[in-house]
Amino acid sequence: MIRLKNIEKVYRTSTIETLALNSISLEVAKGEFLSIMGPSGCGKSTLLNIMGLLDEPSKGDISVGGESIRDFSDKKIARFRNQKLGFIFQSYHLINDLPVLDNVELPLLYRNVSGDERTRLATEALQKVGLGNRMKHYPSQLSGGQKQRVAIARAIVGNPEIILADEPTGNLDSAMGNEIMEILINLNKQEGTTIVMVTHDENMAKKTSRLVRLFDGSQVL
Amino acid sequence: MLKHLFKLIWKKKKSNFLMMLEIFVSFLILFAVWSLSVYNYRNYAQPSGLDSENVWAVFLNFNTDKDSLKIIYKDLVRQKLKSHPEVEAFSFSSSNLPYSFSSMNNGFTYKKKDISSQVMEVDPDYTKVLKLSLAEGRWFTEADKAAKIKPLIITRHLKEALFGNENALGKITGEKDDRKQVIGIVECFKYGNDFQKPENCAFTPSGDWQTDLLIRVKPGTSIDSEAKIAKEISQLGKDWSLEIQHLDKMKATKNRIVWVPILILLIVCGFLIFNVALGLFGVLFQTISHRKQEIGVRRAIGATKSHILWQFIGETLVIATFGLTLGIFFAMQFPLLNVFDVDKSTYLLGILFAVITVYLLVITCALFPSRQASQIYPAVALHEE
Repeated sequence: MIRLKNIEKVYRTSTIETLALNSISLEVAKGEFLSIMGPSGCGKSTLLNIMGLLDEPSKGDISVGGESIRDFSDKKIARFRNQKLGFIFQSYHLINDLPVLDNVELPLLYRNVSGDERTRLATEALQKVGLGNRMKHYPSQLSGGQKQRVAIARAIVGNPEIILADEPTGNLDSAMGNEIMEILINLNKQEGTTIVMVTHDENMAKKTSRLVRLFDGSQVL
Repeated sequence: MLKHLFKLIWKKKKSNFLMMLEIFVSFLILFAVWSLSVYNYRNYAQPSGLDSENVWAVFLNFNTDKDSLKIIYKDLVRQKLKSHPEVEAFSFSSSNLPYSFSSMNNGFTYKKKDISSQVMEVDPDYTKVLKLSLAEGRWFTEADKAAKIKPLIITRHLKEALFGNENALGKITGEKDDRKQVIGIVECFKYGNDFQKPENCAFTPSGDWQTDLLIRVKPGTSIDSEAKIAKEISQLGKDWSLEIQHLDKMKATKNRIVWVPILILLIVCGFLIFNVALGLFGVLFQTISHRKQEIGVRRAIGATKSHILWQFIGETLVIATFGLTLGIFFAMQFPLLNVFDVDKSTYLLGILFAVITVYLLVITCALFPSRQASQIYPAVALHEE
């Protein structure tokens, strides 16, 4: 599904060069639930951003579904992210000026989907995460767990093949975290969605089908 | 997408209201400046109806109040001018020469209408001096001066005000001893300046007391010839004095009185608009820097660079449209209420040009910050708290 080959990421300033990822090779199979663990600053989020085409590697190849993304234009990358990927972030990244329903509709706004269809699909996604009764609310009126469920609804509304989750339970207490994890496991098992999750939490990582550990930008397991 | 933009704008209505107000005020200023410019340009584009080049305005002082002497003196001047080969034509005139600061108004009556008009009392050769062309009828001759009913030549504007669609030629205005018969119509006669709108003006034969003079000289007449003619005329009588001014310079002076304030207004307006543009630019920059996370999210879920670019430009255009709608509502009152008696199309063009200017201004101000927003790397934008 996703294949990373000898990925290297170097951050350069005028004085310092930081190696964030060092020769990472990784393959994620279709339907897999992979977790990435490691201490802070080891390059977990960088790796996830590269997998989600939000960032470019300094070296190495990425191919998704057998297709190398090296020569993808901005338009093609955007279309790919829109149709194949769903993102969940630790700090939710909801747009506070839009009600919940509109936040969930966002990915469909960049597809040729009619307004009524957008509303129907977003409503369905919100019902899946148990927020069918919070559609008119604004993010500021929701708890952290509810916000993360809205973010999950936004990630799944376009029916993506892969969900990339960057510490989705990081800002939540354990009960809320377990609820979110439950939703992700269900998505993986029932819908067959491939999920790659970055986490600090060993317990959460144990619930996934495979674990990859990073240390100082290198893969250690 | 438009509905989506409306929702975003509505949610930030307080801060957007200030931007809308700024655009509304800018529109009103631009509307005033454009309407004034269109009004003056349209007037300027109209033919003036007279040729002021190589024409001198001569202000003669015979140093006498006696009309009988003035008749004799004027004949002397005529004889002298005829002897000069440089002089092509000349005409005595009432003191309200074209482009002078004098004015002489009279009322003309016809079928209970009483229309006020500028009146110029001139000689038959006045038409040759200013190269006036008649649209209808004829100019008066020496023979007409002796007629019981005085001949009258009027501008098209006065003809329409006094006679409407009727044929004016042969019509008589006034009563008893003050009767005048229309014998000719000139299309236009801008006696004030080149920016003057078509106005009422009438020409009748001069009396004996007028001592101002218009002289058309041959092209290339030297300053020495001018001095010679001036000297010869002033030496015709005792204590005579005269002053010669060139009519095209008088015109330039009168034109300057109109266009200099317009130019000052344009500079002030340009400065105001520049400040508005800087303000808009700053506000948009700040807005975009506050919305980096949103940009990152949008990029992550499928927005292209051009989606981001057009979203921010689109939001600004929607806000501008609100400001303009309010502005247009107020501006439309001017043509509807016929304010200042200006042609409706002048106001409508003023509105159109002001709308175009505001949109161009807004797009220009929004383009650079929006372009910067579109270039933000999604991973970087998402990383910012």
